[in-house]
Formats: sequence, structure tokens, C-alpha cells
Amino acid sequence: MSADDETTTDDDTGVPGPHADRLARKEASNEGRGSAASDADRETVRFRIYRYNPDDEDRASPRYDDFHIPFERGMTVLDGLIYARDEFDPSLTFRHSCRQAICGSDALFINGRQRLACKTQVTDLSRPIQVEPLPHLDVKKDLVVEMEHFYEQMHAVEPYFNPDDEPVTATTERRQSPANHEHIKMSTRCIWCASCHSSCNIAAGDDDYLGPAAINMAYRFAMDEREGDRREDERYEIIKSEQGVWRCQTQFSCTEVCPKEIPLTEHIQELKRESVKRNLKFW
Amino acid sequence: MWFLQRVTAVFLIGVLAFHFFQLHFVEHAADIEFAGTQARMQQPFYFATMVLFLVAATFHGVNGVYNALINQGLDGRARTVVKWVLVLASLGLIVQGIRVAMAMAGVHIG
Amino acid sequence: MEEAYDRGVIEDFGRWREFSAGMWAWVFHKFTGWVLVGYLFVHIPVLSTALVGAETYTATIQGLESLPIVRVLEVGLLAVAVFHIMNGTRLLFIDLGIGLERQKVSFYASLLITAIIAVASVPTFISGVF
Repeated sequence: MSADDETTTDDDTGVPGPHADRLARKEASNEGRGSAASDADRETVRFRIYRYNPDDEDRASPRYDDFHIPFERGMTVLDGLIYARDEFDPSLTFRHSCRQAICGSDALFINGRQRLACKTQVTDLSRPIQVEPLPHLDVKKDLVVEMEHFYEQMHAVEPYFNPDDEPVTATTERRQSPANHEHIKMSTRCIWCASCHSSCNIAAGDDDYLGPAAINMAYRFAMDEREGDRREDERYEIIKSEQGVWRCQTQFSCTEVCPKEIPLTEHIQELKRESVKRNLKFW
Repeated sequence: MWFLQRVTAVFLIGVLAFHFFQLHFVEHAADIEFAGTQARMQQPFYFATMVLFLVAATFHGVNGVYNALINQGLDGRARTVVKWVLVLASLGLIVQGIRVAMAMAGVHIG
Repeated sequence: MEEAYDRGVIEDFGRWREFSAGMWAWVFHKFTGWVLVGYLFVHIPVLSTALVGAETYTATIQGLESLPIVRVLEVGLLAVAVFHIMNGTRLLFIDLGIGLERQKVSFYASLLITAIIAVASVPTFISGVF
């Protein structure tokens, strides 16, 4: 991780990448804008990217590689990563899919904070831009982390209505009032990106804690008026179990990093109050 | 437990502030003599408040410590052991505190 | 790619410069909590001198209070207690669902009030010992 490890991959004289056409078009449009800049004196952005590959002796211990990416207006961190992979190092590994903050697969630790690479403008960051895999999750390769435990926690709250609860007739509608929709609207925005989970100090220290994303998922169903009473009781058993809401210490880390701006802490607090009410009723 | 922690918190906010104010700003700690302490502790309301203060503070503090340890990943056998050590320490502190309080108030049993 | 690399949690504390307000509030609250519990467990044994006799009790307390170091520590204890009270109040409001969007401001306010009270109390604590 010292400066000695830095590999500067500046030469782009190699074989044309799969996006050569696209790049050619981009360059043409740059010229169209009247910029006389050639590749040589174009502004570049230094990306400092975390590298790790257990299958390669050379990379079996983690290090940072430097990439100098030509700057373009409107460029996101994901654009930079794609450029680095396509033009400099095809072995650079990271997850991405929709490029528009919907799929939740490119949550990364960018300049010391959990962000979606596709939603983060390069111009909003100080340079060099440091890109690392999500903290508190095990790294599989480069920027790819093991998500299995996160998914287990998400499924632990059983994020679905009662599957046995059939409609009375085939034409029965299950209606939700606009007010109730407003109430749960924010919680439905979760894209399972694990940014919040990665930012949570308690989830980091103890794998048993459900974590903010799973609790928000439970909130989405518990607060939905269409959920049946029995199902709701079962869900509260999970919510107010030892590994549930009580572990939250209101550090607000999750709320701060959520790329979909879900008020996670608020939802967890609401569930705590509801759980206390239920416990007091029981006594 | 979570709820009790909040209830004791509300109580402690008031009493701890009062305790500090009373014994450092109204009466100066350096001027404390046993006679003054006894005079205060012989008022039944003050005595009751102080005993309750002791119990609430012990619960709130020890429960806080226990939760902090759980959040560090304490579990299994170690957790059971720590739990009972903390419970015994708390009971010991409360018993000793009440003995002291009675001595201050001049009440002697046995 | 079977063995995943565990970076551990050590890096957490290495990143303290990146901690947000809510995180600092938690760190301070926990630290002051430990101090207060520790103090409670010392406070009762000191007061236990009352079991020995009135003179011992008076002598112990006045003896301790005549040490400058004790006076300085008392200012620290007051600061710790005031912060725990102020941030505790903040947390209670957060538990009630009030002012969650202003949690940073309320943390800074807790710090400021703690600082003011601690500084203002210095003359009271220091008088007669230096």
C-alpha cells in the first residue's frame, strides 16, 4: 500500500477495446465542441483503486493501483472505472449493471464514504479519487465483496406478505390508502446496495445484528396496512428480537450514506417505539 | 431493557444535575462535614431520592456497559459469565450504598 | 476466489477523520458513560468511610478536596456528566422521533453547552486550593 506499489498504466497503445467505436464517437464529439485538445494534453483524473486477487501471487496481498483517466464533462466514478478496465487493465474487477442508481450493484467506498459509483460525479470529489470495496464485507477480488451475509440478513426478515393469504375471489383487490403509501414510500426505495450495512458500526462488530437495510425492509411490510394481523405479529417477533432494532445506537451513519435517501434511523426508531408499545401491552 | 434504560435516563438527568449543583455549587464539596451530610440524609424525601439515584445509576451504567460489550461481539459462555459478574457487582454496590446511606442518616439496624 | 479477504475492523479507527457527527456523538457518549460508571464504583467506597465514623468521613472528604488534582479532575467529571446529560437528552428526543433531521446541530449544541458550563464552573471548583 506504499507509493512503491503504484502501477501507473499510462500507455493506451494496446489493442482497441470493445468500446473503441463508442470512444471514437466521443472523441469526434469533443472535437465538434471545438476543443483542440489531443490525448496528450487532455486533463486526466487520478484514480487510486484497491486491488486484490487471491488467485494471483502478485496481487495476493492488497495494494492500490493508480490510473490516469481522461476527464470528460459529466463523468461519473463508474465511467472512470469502466475506462480503466477497457483501456488499461481488463483484469480490473467490479460490479455494475444499470448505471442509473436502480440496480444497486456498484456501491463502493469512494473517498472514504459509501456511494454508488454511477451516481457520483467526478467533479464533486477531491482528487485523487480513492476507490475501495465496501468496508466490513469480505473482499473477493478487487472491488467485489462477498454479499451473501447481507442477503441472508435481508431474507431473515421475510420480506414478503403472507404467501398463504389468498384473495377472497379472483377479482378482489387489495387496496392501499394514499396516506399509507406516503408512510412507507421511502422504505420501498431500497435497492439492496448494502451501503448502509457497510457503514454501520454495530453490524460491523456483530454479524448477528440484522442491520439497517433488513430492518428497513421489515418496516416496509410492518407498516403496510395490507399486512394481516397474524403476519404482523410474527414480523414484530423478528423486529424486537435480540438481534433486531435494539442494537441500533442511532449513529445516523446509514441515513447519511443511503444513496436513495431513505430515513433509515427514523424507521428503526419508529419500530423501537412500536415494539415497546407491544411489549407493554403484553405485560 | 431498552425501555428501562430510557426511563432511568430521564430520572438520572434530573437527579444527577441536582446532585452536582447541590454538592458543588450550593454547598462546596471542600466544606462537607459529616453533620451536614447527616442533616440532608435525615430528610426522608432526600434519603429516598438518593437511594433511588443509586439504584437507577447502577442499572443504567451497568446495563450500558453490558450493551457496549455485546456490540463488540461478546457472546456464548463469556457473555453469560460477564452478565453474572456485572449483576453481582451491581448488587454489591447497591447493598453497600444503602448501608452507607443508613449510616449517614443515623439509622442502625442490628 | 474461494477465500475472501477480511480487512477486519481495525481500519475503522484509522478512519476517525471521516467520522460523521452522529458517530462522534456515539463515541463521546460511550466514553463519558464508562467514566461515569467507573466514578460511581469509586464514589460509593469513598463515602463508605461514613460507616467507620463521622470524623473519618469528614477527614477523608476534606483531605481529598484539599488536593489540587482532585479539583481539576472534578471539573473533568462535571464536563463528562454535562455532556452525557445533554447528549442523553438529545438521544431521548431522537428515540421519541423528534428532530431527527437536526441531529447534527443538536450534537454541536451539546458540545457547546458542555464547554460553557465546564469553563464557567472552573472558579467554583478551583477556589481555595491554589
